[in-house]
Amino acid sequence: MSAAMHVHPEVATTHEVHHDEHHVHHHNETFISKYIFSMDHKTIGKQFLITGIVWAIIGGLFSVLFRLQLGYPDQSFPILETFFGKWAKGGQIQPEFYYALVTIHGTVLVFFVLTAGLSGTFANLLIPLQIGARDMASPFLNMLSYWFFFLASVIMFSSLFITTGPASGGWTVYPPLSALGQASDGSKLGMDLWLISMALFIVSSLLGGLNYISTILNMRTKGMSMTRMPLTMWAMFFTAVLGVLSFPVLLSGAILLLFDRNLGTSFFLSDIVVNGEILPNEGGSAILFQHLFWFLGHPEVYIILLPAMGMVSEILSVNSRKPIFGYMAMLGSLFAICILAFLVWAHHMFVTGLNPFLGSIFVLLTLLIAVPSAIKVFNWLTTLWRGNIRFTVGTLFAIGFVSLFISGGLTGIFLGNSTIDIHLHDTMFVVAHFHIVMGVASMFGMFAGVYHWFPKMFGRYLNNTLGYIHFWVTLIGAYLIFWPMHYQGLAGMPRRYLDKSSWVSFSQFGDLDKMITVVSIIVFAVQLMFVFNFFYSIFKGRKVTTQNPWGANTLEWTTPIRPGHGNWDGEIPEVHRWPYDYAKDGRDFIPQTEPVGEHESKH
Amino acid sequence: MSSHYDPTKSVSSSAAYPEVSFHHGHADDATFRKKVKKTTILLSVITVIELVIGLAIYNIHKGANPSELLVLMFKGVVCILTLAKAFYIVSVFMHLGDEIRNMIMTIVVPLMLFIWFIIAFVADGNSYKNLRNQYDPYFKESTMPSKHHGEKHEAAPAEKSGKE
Amino acid sequence: MSTQSTVHQTKWWSGGKSPFNLEYGKLMMWYFLMSDAFTFGAFLISYGTIRFSQNFWPDPNVVFNAFPGAGHANLPLAFVSVMTFILIISSVTMVLAVHAGHKGDKNGVIKWMAWTIVGGLAFLGCQAWEWHHLITGEHAVLATTIDGNNYIDMIGQTMGGNPWGELVDPALAQSALAASSHETLVHLAHEFPKEGMAAASVESLEKMSSSQLAGMVDVAHAHIREKGPIAFGGYFFGITGFHGFHVFSGVVINIVMLIMTQKGIFEQRGHYLMIEKAGLYWHFVDLVWVFVFLCFYLI
Repeated sequence: MSAAMHVHPEVATTHEVHHDEHHVHHHNETFISKYIFSMDHKTIGKQFLITGIVWAIIGGLFSVLFRLQLGYPDQSFPILETFFGKWAKGGQIQPEFYYALVTIHGTVLVFFVLTAGLSGTFANLLIPLQIGARDMASPFLNMLSYWFFFLASVIMFSSLFITTGPASGGWTVYPPLSALGQASDGSKLGMDLWLISMALFIVSSLLGGLNYISTILNMRTKGMSMTRMPLTMWAMFFTAVLGVLSFPVLLSGAILLLFDRNLGTSFFLSDIVVNGEILPNEGGSAILFQHLFWFLGHPEVYIILLPAMGMVSEILSVNSRKPIFGYMAMLGSLFAICILAFLVWAHHMFVTGLNPFLGSIFVLLTLLIAVPSAIKVFNWLTTLWRGNIRFTVGTLFAIGFVSLFISGGLTGIFLGNSTIDIHLHDTMFVVAHFHIVMGVASMFGMFAGVYHWFPKMFGRYLNNTLGYIHFWVTLIGAYLIFWPMHYQGLAGMPRRYLDKSSWVSFSQFGDLDKMITVVSIIVFAVQLMFVFNFFYSIFKGRKVTTQNPWGANTLEWTTPIRPGHGNWDGEIPEVHRWPYDYAKDGRDFIPQTEPVGEHESKH
Repeated sequence: MSSHYDPTKSVSSSAAYPEVSFHHGHADDATFRKKVKKTTILLSVITVIELVIGLAIYNIHKGANPSELLVLMFKGVVCILTLAKAFYIVSVFMHLGDEIRNMIMTIVVPLMLFIWFIIAFVADGNSYKNLRNQYDPYFKESTMPSKHHGEKHEAAPAEKSGKE
Repeated sequence: MSTQSTVHQTKWWSGGKSPFNLEYGKLMMWYFLMSDAFTFGAFLISYGTIRFSQNFWPDPNVVFNAFPGAGHANLPLAFVSVMTFILIISSVTMVLAVHAGHKGDKNGVIKWMAWTIVGGLAFLGCQAWEWHHLITGEHAVLATTIDGNNYIDMIGQTMGGNPWGELVDPALAQSALAASSHETLVHLAHEFPKEGMAAASVESLEKMSSSQLAGMVDVAHAHIREKGPIAFGGYFFGITGFHGFHVFSGVVINIVMLIMTQKGIFEQRGHYLMIEKAGLYWHFVDLVWVFVFLCFYLI
């Protein structure tokens, strides 16, 4: 099995590195070159996944902590003081700690888990496998991409342990709060570390994205035309495009913010008095930062969502044993979403004093997204319709994704209207909306991907029973947690508040908040069970014995069960058809590598 | 397992660099040099025109009654000339013009995003100015240029002399 | 030896014809540059946004009117046009280096790369001079104390100050002289003496009293201005600095390429693709300058 691993990576990669004299030595891979500084796209994908899981545990734990505060604002939990000391004096979460928790929860989940952990994992794992390439265009830069992410992680993690605490101005780090160290503890060193970490993360995502794009565009195997690619590949492609074009804008914003913090410039600052001190800054605009942030921030939600969409399309088609419904429509709507994602950023800023006329254009463009989104939803449903569905855990999570995407997408129509947004802005309604549509839905896409491709990653299956428990508890829990938040938000309950119990109008939600907190603890525990399942199954899971356990058409299932670096033992496969020939001409499935027969019907 | 992938086998020297077959047959040396020379001259001439317009704007501003419309038109012309320069640099110097059409499209299409990027940002900046001029009298008073120099400071010297 | 390795590389990826007929590294360089264009775009658009949110913005012809060795001569845009031409010419020499690479002409590559590096260094030198001139060159501006008293201050163009506001009415400036520091008055009386008065030496001026000095200054000639928008300095130094950083890294890359060429590494490889990639980067630097030139110096 491991013979294919003998291929040494450097040869693969660059025209500039010459290793011909000593390529024999590379046949013995060390532990370090195989698992740590690996240039194999599959290993790098696993590294992204495992780092993402670690961050998800941290981010999830943080949400449990601040949910404790929201559900039980008056109660004291002495154990918290044991662990967090001054941050939870008397067993009660202190305001600075609460804001730090919320900020790091958002940052970590959005960037480290659902960007790096999701597209980093599956773009790396699937792109070369599904387009029929031996590795990424540049495996070396690919490896760097992971290590930049790792470095960003280390810096962000270290910011949790400094005296003044991590950044705590919200994951959107709006100035002036984030620009002025004297304004709060969380705006001191923690904020600088946040910005540096984010800059490194942007480098990582850029290196990854450039690789994904070049690989998909230029390294496809024979016969793999763009329209013969699985929808996962299209989704990964558009995700990478979004990242490559929007992350640099955040980089600009972060650099300008660093200048404002440390060099006394006035990009985002003007007319400010802090603690009685009049600051000399003049002429900057805090709204400008919000523009720069959301020029990334909005594409970012699609960076999170598109990979999930792509994987769900593939998993639903494979497991309902039917061709995907409307391949070209799916592709077109991915493209439309990708374009629109860049044009709608200011709908996050309707109440900043944005020009109302400009706002109305943003409303129009925002509501346009409903069209491709609806096309996708109907195509998923029609793919399932009258299918011969196999309810694997992956399939269930994919169906769960569709359910959550619908529920969360509909509330997006509320928020996309500037007039309604004036009422709903910064309330729990927004929290409910984006957690369902982009947070939990993308997590479901990620879980679907993990359950579906785990056999390819590790040559073993995840435990099914634990998987089904994981799915049902998570699905029901997600709705129990986030559905009631809509009502809270409609009643005007603001987000990010530490303690709402002193407002008479919100005290009616006290028991609801307790329920949400209890459910979120249960859901978190079930995620830990998944993590156990994941690591246990890597070593002890049921072994995969056939090359193509799901009966899928795509190329990754033509590789050996445990493919080495280089993926295919012999020649790379040649492609003769699209990837969705299921239930065709009386055959269950026809792999992409099979030439089109003479009498085959057309699709 | 004999079909294991082995990089040392199946050598075919004719297959070397299939992906590096982009030598776009740079006609001959003379044609190439002529093209580069032509582009260089073109870029220089455009730059000189831009400088002349820049100086023209300077002189208009120095004059007694600067025509804002004329200045705006000149600035528009400079922007177009700059785009022309950018086009020549990208298409000739960077050889994008010699690539295949699909490749060109993957570069040019995303750049279209700049249109809305620029319009929305600048429009909101302008709106921010108008808002403050309307609702923030201090901002308006302290930053609005006076039509005739010194007019708005009429009261100030008197105040000043009082302190002396 | 190199032929054998070439075959390995090709074998590794054998998907037939490259769809874009392009080596992957060049493709990645192109997309990297596009991404970088968005970084620069965001900077320049932020600058535009702030400029549009201000009632007043300094005229670039007033700010950038100095030339090394020309003293106080008013030469708007002269120096920056020299900088622009340096970059254009270095771009041309880069094209020639890439062309020499196509022909496998090692000496041609060395020659033209060397000239490109010289051009890059010259540009950086010019930028250093311009920054130095702007930061250290102090100009008289009308300032106001918290109590509302006017005085004349001397400030340079920095991140936190801008001396290019509107011209102040000479009568007002004259009245503000009284409250200004002795040092400022000495400077002004030395630089801008009233007509008919010979420029006195600094030493002799230093011995005079403030009110004496105030009477000697030709305020109309001194072009005393209000303070300008602070954001100007941040954006100017921020963006030209970021561009200068690109030029600097481009020069470093070019030097590495030159050394590699000299050592015959590309010759051995049989192609000069790395020169092409470095060339793309270098032209991009030129391309960005075209827009920086437009945004800061022309409009």
